Amino acid sequence: MNTLTHLNAKGEARMVDVSEKQTTQRTATATASVEMHASTLDMIIQGGHPKGDVLATARIAGIMAAKRTPELIPLCHPLMLSKVEVDLEADAQLPGVRIRATCKLAGQTGVEMEALTAASVAALTVYDMCKAVDKRMVISNTYVEEKTGGKSGDWSFDNLATDPSQQPQASQSSQPTTSANALNLHFFAELREQLGVDNLQVALDALPNPTLQELVNYLQSQDSKWDTALKSPNLLMAVNQQMAKPTQKLKAGDEVAFFPPVTGG
Amino acid sequence: MDSCFIRVQQESFDTGKEVQALASQRTDIGAVVSFTGYVRDFNEKPEVTALTLEHYPGMTEQALEQIVHDAEERWALKGTRIIHRIGRMEPGDPIVLVVTASAHRQDAFDACNFIMDFLKTRAPFWKKEHTASGDYWVSARTSDTQAAERWENN
Repeated sequence: MNTLTHLNAKGEARMVDVSEKQTTQRTATATASVEMHASTLDMIIQGGHPKGDVLATARIAGIMAAKRTPELIPLCHPLMLSKVEVDLEADAQLPGVRIRATCKLAGQTGVEMEALTAASVAALTVYDMCKAVDKRMVISNTYVEEKTGGKSGDWSFDNLATDPSQQPQASQSSQPTTSANALNLHFFAELREQLGVDNLQVALDALPNPTLQELVNYLQSQDSKWDTALKSPNLLMAVNQQMAKPTQKLKAGDEVAFFPPVTGG
Repeated sequence: MDSCFIRVQQESFDTGKEVQALASQRTDIGAVVSFTGYVRDFNEKPEVTALTLEHYPGMTEQALEQIVHDAEERWALKGTRIIHRIGRMEPGDPIVLVVTASAHRQDAFDACNFIMDFLKTRAPFWKKEHTASGDYWVSARTSDTQAAERWENN
């Protein structure tokens, strides 16, 4: 589940064989944003830019880029896209431009790389069109918003329950969605490799009477991989960077770490 | 104690320079003991070509501080210095350094030994060895645990 499919058993890069996968209707939506000075955004809205219509040009650039994704991303399959849509919206709050790219096809592999490429290149084009007046623009928040179809089913960035690679009510902490009412979990060394995850958030609501033991039980109930990995009699645990016993109580915001016996020195 | 000095770093170190940094310009130090650990080319398997050291940032430093604190409670130390490397290292590279200073030799000898025993069993570092027959995580040794336990009774 949490393995890298683009690596073979020897760790070499490979293109995944998708010939056995079913052809399904697939869509993916990716977003990106370009933050800029408010006056730069005004200029885009007024249409006063020296290089012309920024948003229209970026939209076309995004569509063209989606079609060339396999030429840019080494292990990406060439796809017959049935639809590419790129929306650009001026956002005075940012201030800047929010980009949303959706790609669609009936095929055997997902289209999130195409959507990400479209959003990224649209963002680059906005930068290129405006750099003469504003060099401090920041391209950020490029991520897959949602995808539908395919073996793993529908997935959405905001809905963690749709993500089979993650546990219910848990999210990888690298994602911007963080909850104040959560435990921050860290995994190290061999355990990290066994689980295929280095950090994770678990909502405190998942544990009626939060202790370290209960957290372990909860994680073990996820699937056999978690059960096996956390069953080790040598498993060590730390709460807020201090070694801890299973009876230790947990509270929101606690940093909980799991690791095998230490072998430094 | 302000003479406690702990560094977790990727870069190599020079034991001689570190000892000198601790002892120079001091006239109250009568003894300095240093232990330097090196990467071996054999361990659980022969032909170790490299090793990668992982640690738990934050907790590692706290654990080392606690060990130094415990050592200071047991012996009259004039200063300590710990350097532990992380990342990729090759056989022959220095990996860990513990330097202790005291007025009389026994305190520095024993404290250095004590700090290494606890560093090996308490500080969150993990070694992965790369060998001709594959990579594997080094398992903890019972002898290291026993070495740390012997301090509890004396």
